[in-house]
Amino acid sequence: MSVTLLWWALAALIVVGAVVVIAAREMMRMLLGLGVFLLGLAGLYAWYGFELLAVAELFVYVGGVLVLFLFAITSMGRDSEGRFMERRLDLGALGISAGLGVVLFVALQSALPSTATAIGASVEDTATALLGPLLPYFEVVGIVLLIALAAALAIIGREDGR
Amino acid sequence: MTPLALGCLLISIGLYGLLTRRDIVAVLASIEVMLGGAQLLLATYSAGVTQASAAQGITVIVLATVGAEAAVGLALLVALVRRNRTRTDQIEEVRG
Repeated sequence: MSVTLLWWALAALIVVGAVVVIAAREMMRMLLGLGVFLLGLAGLYAWYGFELLAVAELFVYVGGVLVLFLFAITSMGRDSEGRFMERRLDLGALGISAGLGVVLFVALQSALPSTATAIGASVEDTATALLGPLLPYFEVVGIVLLIALAAALAIIGREDGR
Repeated sequence: MTPLALGCLLISIGLYGLLTRRDIVAVLASIEVMLGGAQLLLATYSAGVTQASAAQGITVIVLATVGAEAAVGLALLVALVRRNRTRTDQIEEVRG
C-alpha cells in the first residue's frame, strides 16, 4: 500500500513540477519547477528499479542540464532573473495539447503491455546490454554528442568572430 | 493512473507550454517536459516488450540524445541573447 502511495506522491510531484514550468512567470521559479519535475522523474525511475537511469537522470539533468539552464538565464543579463515572462491562456493550444494526449493514450493503450509494477534492472545487466546488442546505437550516440558539442562551440564561437 | 496516463499527461502539458510560451528558455523547458514524458513511457513499457536491462540501456541512449538537444538549444539561446532577442517572435530570419 505504501509502495503505491509513494508512486502517487512521485507522480503528483512530477505533474506539479511540469505545471509550474509552463505556468511560472519568473524564470527562477520556472527553473525550480523543472528541478522538481526532474527529481520526481528520477524518483519514479528508482521506484521502477531502474537504478542506473535514476542516477543518470540526477547527474545529467539535475546536475548538468539544470545548471546549463541557470547559466543561460544568468547570461541573459542582470535583470533577466526578476523579469516576468508572458503567460497566457490559449484555448486553441489547450485543445490541441489535450487532444494529442487523449489520442496518444487511446492509441497506445491497446498496443502496449500492462506494466505498472516495479520492474528492476541491474547495472551489470544494463552494461552488458549497452556493450552487447546495443553497442552500435551506443556508438552512434557518442558521435551525436560529439557533433552536438562541436555545434554548440561553433554557434557560440561564431558570435565572437572566431 | 498508469505510467501511460502520466506520460501522455506530461506530453500534453509540455506541448501546451511549447505552443503558448514566447520566451526561448520557457520553450526549451517545455520541450524537456515533453521529452521527460516520452522517456517515462519508453522506460516503463519497453521493459514489457524486451528485457528490462535492454529497456534501461535504450532509455540511457535517449537520455544522452536529449542532453545533446539541450546543449545545442541553450547555445542557440546564448547566441540569440547576444543579439538582444530572447523571445521566439523576435526571431525573424534564419541564416545558414
